[in-house]
Parts: sequence; C-alpha cells; structure tokens
Amino acid sequence: MNIQYLKPILFFIPLAVVQLVIVPLISISNIAPNLVFVLIAYFTLRHGQIYGTILGFILGFLLDIISGGLIGAFMFSFTVSSFVVGYFYGENKIDINLSTYFLLFILFICGSINSFLFAVVSSSNSNLSLFFMMLEEGILPGLYTALFGLPIVIFHPKEGI
Amino acid sequence: MRKFLRRLVSDYKEYLLLIILSIISLSILAQNEKPAAKHLKSIALGNFAVLNEITSSFVSILKSDGSRDNLRSENAHLMLELNRLQKYRAENEELRSMIASKDTSVYPLIPAKIISKLITKSQGNFVVNKGSDYEIKKGMPVINDKGLVGLIMDVTENYSVVQNLYNSNLSIAVTLQRTNVDGILNYDGNNLIIKDIPTTYDVQIGDIVETSNFSSLFPPSIPVGKVLKKESNILGLLHTLTVMPFADISAANNLFIIKIIPSKQINQLEMNLIK
Repeated sequence: MNIQYLKPILFFIPLAVVQLVIVPLISISNIAPNLVFVLIAYFTLRHGQIYGTILGFILGFLLDIISGGLIGAFMFSFTVSSFVVGYFYGENKIDINLSTYFLLFILFICGSINSFLFAVVSSSNSNLSLFFMMLEEGILPGLYTALFGLPIVIFHPKEGI
Repeated sequence: MRKFLRRLVSDYKEYLLLIILSIISLSILAQNEKPAAKHLKSIALGNFAVLNEITSSFVSILKSDGSRDNLRSENAHLMLELNRLQKYRAENEELRSMIASKDTSVYPLIPAKIISKLITKSQGNFVVNKGSDYEIKKGMPVINDKGLVGLIMDVTENYSVVQNLYNSNLSIAVTLQRTNVDGILNYDGNNLIIKDIPTTYDVQIGDIVETSNFSSLFPPSIPVGKVLKKESNILGLLHTLTVMPFADISAANNLFIIKIIPSKQINQLEMNLIK
C-alpha cells in the first residue's frame, strides 16, 4: 500500500472509535455527524480526486466492518462523496479550501451526498419518501458534519492565503 | 485502437476508477449474507470492539456501579412480570391459560452493556459487550428495564450486534394488549408505526403494544410501547398507529438479552407455508 494512505488510516483508528462511542452521545434525534467523512474530505482536498476516491473506498470498507453495519454501504457512499469532494481540489487552492469557511460549504454539500447515499443503499424500507431521505438523512446530517470542519478552518495555518 | 483506449483511460481515469470502485462496493453490499463476509465482519468487529469497550468504559466511568446494574436487572424482570400480570387482568380465562405456557418472565436475562452505536436516521445498530461466550445467539430479543429494544443480528466470541427498533429493516409482529389487535411494527425513519389497522377495530390512544403470539422473532408479551397517535387514511378505512416505545432507544446503555431462540418448528412451518 502506498505510504500516502497510511497517514489517514492512522488518523482513522481513533476517529472511528470517537465516531462509534462519543458521537452517539451528541446525536440529535438520530442525526449524527460523520467525522470519518471529515477526515476523508480533508485528505481529498490536500491530495486530489483519485487519491480521495481510493481513500473513501478503503476507509468506508474499514468503517463498515468495524461498525457492525452492512459491508459496502459506507464503502459506496464514501467513494462517491469523496469523488465529489475531489472536484473542489486544486493544487493552488489547497490553503483556500482548508483555511476558509468554504470548507464548511464543501463538507455540507458532500456530507449530505454521503449521508443520502448511505441511507439509500442501506435501507430496505420502501416507505421512506425521497423528500424525507434527502432532508433528514441527507441535508441535516450534512449540516451537522459541516460543523466539525470548523476546527480545521480555525487551526489550519493561513500562510498561503 | 490500443492508442485510443489508452487515451480514453488516461482522459477519464477518475470516472473509470469511480465506476469500478462503486461496482465493487455494491457487489460487496449484495454479498453481506455470505459466510465469508460474516466471518470477516466478526473478526474485525471482535478486534475493534476492544478499543470501543475501553473508550466506552472510560466515558461511562461515573456510571459503572455494580449495585445499579443489579437493580436494573431486577427491574427488567419485574417489568416483564408486571406486563404478564396486566395481560392476565385484561384477557379472559381461556387466553390466560394459553399464555401461561409462554411466560416471558421465566427466561434468563443476560446483562450487557452498549459499547458502540452506529447512529444513522434509519439504521440503528448497537454493539454490546457479550457474545457467544455467554451463549448468545442470533435472533435473541434484547430488552432494557422499560421494554423491547431490538434483536441480536450478529454474534462474535465476545461481542454482539443488536439491530434496534429504530432500524427500518426490522419488522415486528405486535399486538395491542387490551384488544388483541395484531399488526406489524416498523420504523419509518421518524416514528414507530403500525400500518393498515381497520378503523372498525377498537384502538385507543394509550393502548399498550406488545410482541405478538404470531411473532417468530420474539417471544410473546414483551412490552414495546404505547399508542401515541392514530391517523386514518384518505378513505377512512384504515388506521396508521404511531407507537411511542417504552425503552429510550437513543439513550439506552444497559441492556438485557433474553436467552431464548425462536422456535425452529415455527420457522419450519412458516417456510412450508411459503413453499
């Protein structure tokens, strides 16, 4: 495995523990942020679309097998959403993307796509309306996830801007 | 041709990668019930759950009181007993004698602690710190001191995955305790609902909902919740009941696994009916 992928995987382990143990304590009406997605988005915005898509695939697989959920659900949603994050990548835009509030916008859009896709592939309940899924399983978790981009915006060095 | 293909791959490599990885993900998703996938999941879950358990015990360090756990266990037993007695009062002599043979309060309870939760709007899962070492098997019902919480879906040596009531993939055969009206309880992403109950049936707000005799997943008479709201459909022929669970699923921490597995004979009969 490329050494480039080891760093996010090392970050992933404690973050996955936080996601599965601490995050449920701060969930609101079963709407919870996805910290692993924040990690994937961060590394995608630093290294590009192809890197991000592969990273989303790997970390999605790992989260699937350790969370007790369906194997393939996070894999698929992380792969597609990190691909979308990759569209915001630019070699000259790394600092702008990571140090400004634009990061929150990226996390909101792509986090919503991620949550929505996860809901679509993991739910077998055909009674759920598309509107409900988009709002409560897409936009709201996306909004909550975006909030967790704030520490990155605040603490990322702003030298390049 | 080869040149063209090479150019195609180099120009659209991101899209090709996305398509390939998406196809792999979706095909793995379709293979979830295969033994290899289950084996992989149980190994990963078993190893990673150790980390979750350490973190979880650190987080709940103030709550780790043994006497409180014992009281909770006793409370859960009493809850099942109370529900059985309420049922006795409500039912006639004939039904009472039939139900006595399916007494849920005599099943042993295995206390377990939630060590991690997968929180999504419609896919509620818990991982608990007891597994096959405690003779826990797939299909055992999970309760807390208030009522039904969910069902064991996967078991490793030391840990189990619980699919809770807030999981849209879980359907439970339930009955209204007062009138014995049967229905199927589902989670619609917002509420627990029982659909298609004829409006001619006697249903009142506050009626207690419990697991049905017809359930092949759960033993009968486990309290689930109470009717919070009833809504008629456009034609006014059918009701949709909204059920408020007794157990606070989101805040659940200590659970009890009822040591019972669904009857193989009932399952076999159901399979024969399907055939």
